[in-house]
Amino acid sequence: MSTIAGRLGLGAAVLAVLVYLIFPVIVVVAISFSSGNFLVFPPPGFSLRWYESIAGDPEWVSALWVTLKVGSLSALIAVLLGVPAAFALVRHVIPAKALLNALILCALVTPPIVTALSTYLFFVPLGLVNTVVGLACAHAVSGMPFVVINTSASLRSADVNLERAAVIHGAHPLWAVLRITLPIISPGIVIGAIFAFVHSAHELLVATFVLGGVGKPVAVKIWSGVQATSDPTIAAASAILIGLAIFTFASAAATQSLAKRRTA
Amino acid sequence: MTALVEPRAAPLLRPARPSQAWLLPTMLLLPSLAWITFFFLAPLILMCWRSLASEGFSLETYSVLFTSPLFTKVMITTVKTAGIATVFALLLAYPLAYVLTISGGKMRALILVFVLIPYWVDIIVRSFSWLILLGDNGMVNKALMGLGIIGMPLQLLYNPFSVLLAMVQILLPLTTVTLFGAMLRIDRTLITAAKIHGASGWQAFRTVFFPLSLPGVYGAGLLVFVLALGFYVTPALLGSPRETMIAQTIMVEASQLLDWPQASAAGAVLLIITTSIAALYNRYFSLDRLWGGSDN
Repeated sequence: MSTIAGRLGLGAAVLAVLVYLIFPVIVVVAISFSSGNFLVFPPPGFSLRWYESIAGDPEWVSALWVTLKVGSLSALIAVLLGVPAAFALVRHVIPAKALLNALILCALVTPPIVTALSTYLFFVPLGLVNTVVGLACAHAVSGMPFVVINTSASLRSADVNLERAAVIHGAHPLWAVLRITLPIISPGIVIGAIFAFVHSAHELLVATFVLGGVGKPVAVKIWSGVQATSDPTIAAASAILIGLAIFTFASAAATQSLAKRRTA
Repeated sequence: MTALVEPRAAPLLRPARPSQAWLLPTMLLLPSLAWITFFFLAPLILMCWRSLASEGFSLETYSVLFTSPLFTKVMITTVKTAGIATVFALLLAYPLAYVLTISGGKMRALILVFVLIPYWVDIIVRSFSWLILLGDNGMVNKALMGLGIIGMPLQLLYNPFSVLLAMVQILLPLTTVTLFGAMLRIDRTLITAAKIHGASGWQAFRTVFFPLSLPGVYGAGLLVFVLALGFYVTPALLGSPRETMIAQTIMVEASQLLDWPQASAAGAVLLIITTSIAALYNRYFSLDRLWGGSDN
């Protein structure tokens, strides 16, 4: 009997925590479709006016473009640097591997304000402040861990014997990696790249210091809006970011199931 | 990622001479390490340098920091807020991670989706949402007044409560995933063994599963604490000046007072604290178990 009560209690606790987790997300999405002029939940009615106001506002549109540019470029850099690093860490015996691993990952546990301040001080003399490329270079550092982690995981489960077979049959080892192993681990690389992109799109502090003036990305624009205004435009902008996140999440899941089907 | 026990296969790209075995891994690692050194480590070193050398070499910025009652107060608030948020995140994440561990297939996938969706939503957005819910005209106050429990709206915003409520929600997904990863590594046959020997479900949990899960709890706690120390958006949006955390102080010193040496010194102090805790964590738990680093 007591196990049933225990199970019910556990179930109720878990349900409550899940509601607590998901409720803030629902609130913002609901308000973005509000017909009212103010931030009230539940919204008085349904409309798309706040999305229209974003689409019609050149500042928001350019902010979305900046976010897309910085995110894609930083994800690309993270992939180009992170995938070879994952190969080295998984397939080779190297000294001080734990230290190298920690070095690659430590950007994730460094407080963003510290990264932001130091990046700014470093970028000023280099002329990288107020440049999309500069912000992408900085974001690539914190995007790389996502690529390394996910690529390593795929690489560990990939069968080395397929590559071996290709080499035995006369393929150049490099060619075997590019043609055999790379396609097998590509879902891991893609998921890592998506994580890196979303991380860049959400990052606020480095973005504020590097691109806080003209041509600010969405996160910076949302942050200044959140502090100043009280109409649902912010909610709509936030919902677009949520939509982007869910879209990428879904495509990551789809890639994964596709990969499972391929290996099955 | 677990340390695999199976024997490691020899690297495929075998060097022509064994003496060159180091060449390939070096070439693979060099670009990423160079990038991290240039765009991450060099800026951090520069920041620490700037904190020491404003006019000649001196520790003045640090003596200003440590004698300032305001800085001491902010540091105490930061550590306290981060600590409380960590404890609550662990308390709420534990049952969730436990249910994830014992449930299988579709149930597990469904809960994971619910846990991960907020993780993919901007921290600004998640903090902002509480601003709407807890305001004077927010849903919580309206509901309480509608039920006749209170006559006037309660001041739910701009206090430690609102900051912690949002912080815990933000930290929960990572806490849950980290705990879940640790719990998956617990050998479940031990619980079955306890039950065979007559232990009830609760006894088996309390005397076998729970003690075995504690290292994971400590690990997740350290990690979440480090992240909580650096919070900026949540206390800035949902707290009053009394809830100011260290990241906000650094931001004000840098962007409003333009006092770069002083901001750098505060940044260096925060960096040293978080790096020490992260190093402690890495020593016992290894950082790469996190952030989507699935075990399979």
